[in-house]
Amino acid sequence: MIAAMALPPPDPEFVLRGTAAPVHTLHFSCRGQEPEFPILFSGSANGLVQIWNLKTHRVDKTMDGHGGKSVYWVETIHGRDGLLSQGRDQKICLWDLAEGRNVVTDSISVDSVGFCRCSLLKVAQDRWLIAMPANDPDEVQVLELPSKTSVCTLKPEAGAKLGMPMCLKLWQPGFGACPFLMAGYEDGSVILWNLSMGKMLSRLACHQEPVMSLDFDSEKAKGVSGSSEKVLSVWSLDEQQNLKVHKTHELINSGISDVTIRQDRKILATAGWDYHIRIFGWKKVKPLAVLDYHTATVHCVAFSDHSRPSERLLAAGSNDQRISIWSLYNQT
Amino acid sequence: MAVFDTPQEAFGVLRPVCVQLTKVQTVENVERLQAQLQKVSAAALQQLQEYVLFPLRFTLKTPGPKRERLVQSVVECIRSILSETCVKKPDLLHELFSELCTCLSSPSGLKRPPAQSEEIKLAVIQALQALMHSAYGDILLSLYQPSTLPHLGFAVSLLLALAEQEKAKEIRTSALKCLQALLLQCDCQEYHRLLDKEEAQRCGDLFASFLPGISITLSRVITGDIKQSHMIAVSAIKLFYQTVGFIMADEQLRKIPEKKEKPGVEQSRIADLMVHRGPDWVQSTADKLSLLIHKIVESSSVHQHWKVRLELVELAHHLMLKSSQSLVASVGQLLKALVGLVNDDSPKVQSRSSEVLRSIAERKVITENRALADVLSENLHSLATALPRLMTSQDDQGKLSTLNILLGSLKLLGSKMNIVLNSTAHLHRLSKALMQVLELDVTDVKIVEERRQGELPASLQHGLQKGQAQKKYFRFFTDERIFPLLQQVCRVLGYYGNLYLLVDHFTGLYSESVAFRKQAALVLNELITGAAGLGVDVLHEREAAPSVDDLKGTITSILEEYTGQANWHLVTSMEEQEEPSDELAMPPSRLRALPESAHSSTLILSSAATSEPNPTIRSMNGNIWQICIQLEGVGCFTHALGKEFRVLLMSALYPVLEKAGDSTLLISQTATGTMVDICQACGYGSVQQLISENTDYLVNGISLSLRRVAHQPHASRVLETMLRHSDASLLPLVEDVIQDVLFTLDQSYDSRAASFLRVLHSLMAALARWFVLAKQSEQQQGAQTSPGATELPGAIPTAAATTTGQDVERFFLDYIKQKQIAEGDLPDTEEEEVFLPPAEEPQGNDTSAEGEAPLPAHAQVAKDVMERCIHLLSDKSLRVRLKVLDVLELGVTVLHPHNNHLLPMAHRAWPALVTRLINDDPLAVLRAFKVLCTLAEKCGDFLRQRFSKDVLPKLAGSLSSQAPVSARAGPVYSHTLAFKMQLAVLQGLGPLCEKLDMGEGDLNRVAGACLVYLSARQPVKLQEAARSVFLHLRRVDPDAPWLLLNGVCCPRQYPPPHASLRPVELSGMGRPRGELTDNVLHLLGELEQRERAMLWPRAQGAPEPRGPPPP
Repeated sequence: MIAAMALPPPDPEFVLRGTAAPVHTLHFSCRGQEPEFPILFSGSANGLVQIWNLKTHRVDKTMDGHGGKSVYWVETIHGRDGLLSQGRDQKICLWDLAEGRNVVTDSISVDSVGFCRCSLLKVAQDRWLIAMPANDPDEVQVLELPSKTSVCTLKPEAGAKLGMPMCLKLWQPGFGACPFLMAGYEDGSVILWNLSMGKMLSRLACHQEPVMSLDFDSEKAKGVSGSSEKVLSVWSLDEQQNLKVHKTHELINSGISDVTIRQDRKILATAGWDYHIRIFGWKKVKPLAVLDYHTATVHCVAFSDHSRPSERLLAAGSNDQRISIWSLYNQT
Repeated sequence: MAVFDTPQEAFGVLRPVCVQLTKVQTVENVERLQAQLQKVSAAALQQLQEYVLFPLRFTLKTPGPKRERLVQSVVECIRSILSETCVKKPDLLHELFSELCTCLSSPSGLKRPPAQSEEIKLAVIQALQALMHSAYGDILLSLYQPSTLPHLGFAVSLLLALAEQEKAKEIRTSALKCLQALLLQCDCQEYHRLLDKEEAQRCGDLFASFLPGISITLSRVITGDIKQSHMIAVSAIKLFYQTVGFIMADEQLRKIPEKKEKPGVEQSRIADLMVHRGPDWVQSTADKLSLLIHKIVESSSVHQHWKVRLELVELAHHLMLKSSQSLVASVGQLLKALVGLVNDDSPKVQSRSSEVLRSIAERKVITENRALADVLSENLHSLATALPRLMTSQDDQGKLSTLNILLGSLKLLGSKMNIVLNSTAHLHRLSKALMQVLELDVTDVKIVEERRQGELPASLQHGLQKGQAQKKYFRFFTDERIFPLLQQVCRVLGYYGNLYLLVDHFTGLYSESVAFRKQAALVLNELITGAAGLGVDVLHEREAAPSVDDLKGTITSILEEYTGQANWHLVTSMEEQEEPSDELAMPPSRLRALPESAHSSTLILSSAATSEPNPTIRSMNGNIWQICIQLEGVGCFTHALGKEFRVLLMSALYPVLEKAGDSTLLISQTATGTMVDICQACGYGSVQQLISENTDYLVNGISLSLRRVAHQPHASRVLETMLRHSDASLLPLVEDVIQDVLFTLDQSYDSRAASFLRVLHSLMAALARWFVLAKQSEQQQGAQTSPGATELPGAIPTAAATTTGQDVERFFLDYIKQKQIAEGDLPDTEEEEVFLPPAEEPQGNDTSAEGEAPLPAHAQVAKDVMERCIHLLSDKSLRVRLKVLDVLELGVTVLHPHNNHLLPMAHRAWPALVTRLINDDPLAVLRAFKVLCTLAEKCGDFLRQRFSKDVLPKLAGSLSSQAPVSARAGPVYSHTLAFKMQLAVLQGLGPLCEKLDMGEGDLNRVAGACLVYLSARQPVKLQEAARSVFLHLRRVDPDAPWLLLNGVCCPRQYPPPHASLRPVELSGMGRPRGELTDNVLHLLGELEQRERAMLWPRAQGAPEPRGPPPP
């Protein structure tokens, strides 16, 4: 990696064009298909969810289910046979994609009008939890899928003045263990919630501005969050379930719209308002590269889940209507 | 004819003549008997056969010398009897056989042919032939006993001697025929009893003794005098292979016991003559035969007559069929002969030999028989070893046959060739040989020189044409048939061979050395074609074709090699190396000496480059060829994969398009051919469709390449090619990347502007083509319906259909109005005719509001491009400036319909343009003037003030100052830049004045400057151009030119219509004839004519044909 640092930042492997609107969310699905048939889901401001074939670099399918309102979160469910998409029309659609179908089979209405993306966690075979902003502006609701029964509603104590939840991350320390939720709030604090008790475990005010995005590494019990300021904040969770600031990293330009840790927990990518994608080593949060391609705000970054590490990709969606695909730091 | 049907009657008739003949043996009596025989039916004659034969035989047996004539007639008579009847007794057969043979015996032994006349020989041969055919059933076999061996031997040697040594063609052929019958190989129409295996075996034993004699003599006959009739050679070859095939038949030899049987005591002497066909004998005979076969093949395969060659094919076929094991040593020879004849000139020989080869291959003789496969591999190896040497030493014909043999061996080996290929040494030799043979001739300078000219190669626009491979020239051969043969060799290798092994090997060679790179690429292309089973001519199907995925994988890896930086971006011209600033150092004389053309700058550079001694021309040529071969390879690969190639277009299309935009003619042609190939193979209807359906891949490539300085020129070439091959529907797809291009340009104005200008130029040209020309053609259609619609408001319609008094009235009203306006007395109403076209009117009031209105995409692009052009107009490189002027001109054309954007742009561009016009290299001035003309045409009088203030004085001044020079100049002058400048200005001024609607003072200035050029001393072209200026001026103001011209020379008087008016006096009246006179008169005539045409209906009524009176 040190050797790689000396090199000039690479070019994108390729660039996907044709969303015809700013790209707000990306999600890879590259694993577990024989023969391997990697695809990328994109959700864009014109309400369309597109399925990109990463072999031909073309749109295989375009799905319109949000009435032209921006889609800002997509996630697969049931392997690749199902897809959840969250749109600004205050709806989460469940798509059936099995056997070439693409129909909305179910939808959950979200009462919140914020920008908070949902979070999905598989807790058992065919059983998922989804965290989403709730009716009250400062509440988070957790539902069980596919039954759509409410598991709990996470309401901060009165007078906490957290503002609206901005980003959510469901996680569990091990499979089958009790799930937790990390939530970033408008006032710049990150809160750890215990879902089974429905209670706040720890609160860390790590930003002055709203937390735009966070990601959490449950193995190292360490998380990262970005806000509209110039700071990338890394915090850790100790045995007593207390959140502590671990490190902060000053950026040159302000505004991070998305942070993602790669599945192998080696690197971290941020999507910047300054049109740049930044790559950091996750261990020490050392800046590794600044990827310069986009000509507008980058809204989202996503790492692919290819089973072979060498094929892993990074995708970034931007306001310039392009999705750039990068191949980096995968010679481990 | 036969009148006597019963034996009794026949006997009655024949008896007297027979008796007579027995008594007196004369020719007459024989002939009488012959005559009587005609009347007897065959059935009756059969009964009386022996009776009738008796006197004849008696005649022959009579001791003492006989007259030849008699013998001849007797033998002929015997022949006719035998041909009618059949011999049923073995004794009779034996006796007749020996009696006939003895007729030709010569006292001096067998060595020399008997000295009798040719007629007798012929008669005897025919009689023997008849005897062979008349033997009844098994009787014939009685002749073929060990005991009769001496008789047979005698007959055989006799006939051989006749066949070899006689002169008459008829005797020789019939001797061969007879021999054929004697050796039981007759192939005539008559019935022949087939021998069973046992009998065949015995006969084989018997004939084996004759084999040496027969084979040696026949081979002598075959390889003998080339002037002999081909019939003899054909029959001899046939007899040879039939005999050899019979005696050496594998089937018979298999049954021969190891040990010779102990012969009976009484037969011992004869048995000594018999040959035991044991393994030793077979071996030694085969060795000797192989020498003979070699000789026969050598001489017959180049025989002039195709029938002989055809027979040779049969020989090979027959022997390989019957005795491939016994004659294993000759199989190589035979195959070589067959393979060599596959590409024979005669189609019959061709088809037969390939048929035979196919049948041999199909019977799997080769693949099952280890010995044969070994022979072939051995052959292949020795051939491969010798190939490089042969290719350098042999002439083209020799190469052709050598390669034919190589190809044939490969085809016969089929999949077995992998045994050979798996051996590194074998493969190495074979590939080395191919590398050497395929070395290209790279000395042609033209390849490097030829540049792509013009924007649209004509062939591209019309449908699809088959992409044809460029004709290549090789160092070691010139025959056109050799390269296809080599291609076949490679394809067959690809078809049967282990593709991975071969591709790996040749890719290794490809990357190993520059010397092998082109050849290896050629071979790889053909290997893939062959592996896909395309264009390959094989004898039998391979067992397993490579799967599509394997093929795709292989092709992907080869493509990666081909399009890698080191192999794709090679130096192919001097331009690429030169710095843009270099050209400024070039002496101006060179610039002047070159013809002006759209691509003069390229010409300058390339000629400058080649005129200097340059050691790298050869390497550039080589590079060009390498790129071409690689491009052709892409074409081959698409055909190999068909629609499956579509996935690979992601990486392959971009490099191909890049090369299609290359400035070297050969490369761009080849790349275009490749695009057509891709269209065909991948199922796209046209190049345009190919591009538009894959725009995403291309745009991706362009946008990424733009990020790397070194790749920017390539990216712009790709974009250029896309634009060139597409229509307006492409624009939305590439808009995004055009912005990228402009963005990149903005970051590097100084250094890399030149490479971007090319793409800007083609962009603007494409926009003009898509949006302006299309519209213009529509407008032209519209204009046809309403003529004169394009006329300026102030001008008089030239072709007014009806001119009435009202028109005259209106003219005067207009005139008065104009005058009022000129005096500042503006009318109140807005609809009054104002010089400004209505579209421009609101421009002054609300520019800001209008500026916000969304422009169509193409106009927006044009505007963006023009803005960059304004910056670049004052670039320090002349080449850039010239290009910018071109782009600007096109930009004006595209932006034209959107005047409220065009005019501000023109305003901004003006200062820089003026500098170009006034103070720059003549080339730039010329180009700038063109731009000015276009600008004037589009912007109209918006430029009037600027033009008359900034440019006109200078132009007029230079015209006036140049006039004396051109008036004195010789014929070479018309090739100079100064002349072109004058011409362009003169040609442009007229329309300029008209479009800009120049004021009177300016018009006068123009007219004054042009007047000098009416001189008869000026070059004719300039005179013409000057005349055209006046004709244009007439349209703006008809009177001023008239007056001016009349001031120079007035051909006629104008008497006043009324005495009260003063007579008109013009200064030109009564002038002596001068240098201007001719043109002035010509012009005046033309002016008058036009006027008259316009005013024709008025001409009678009006007292004065000229409109307004002179002041």
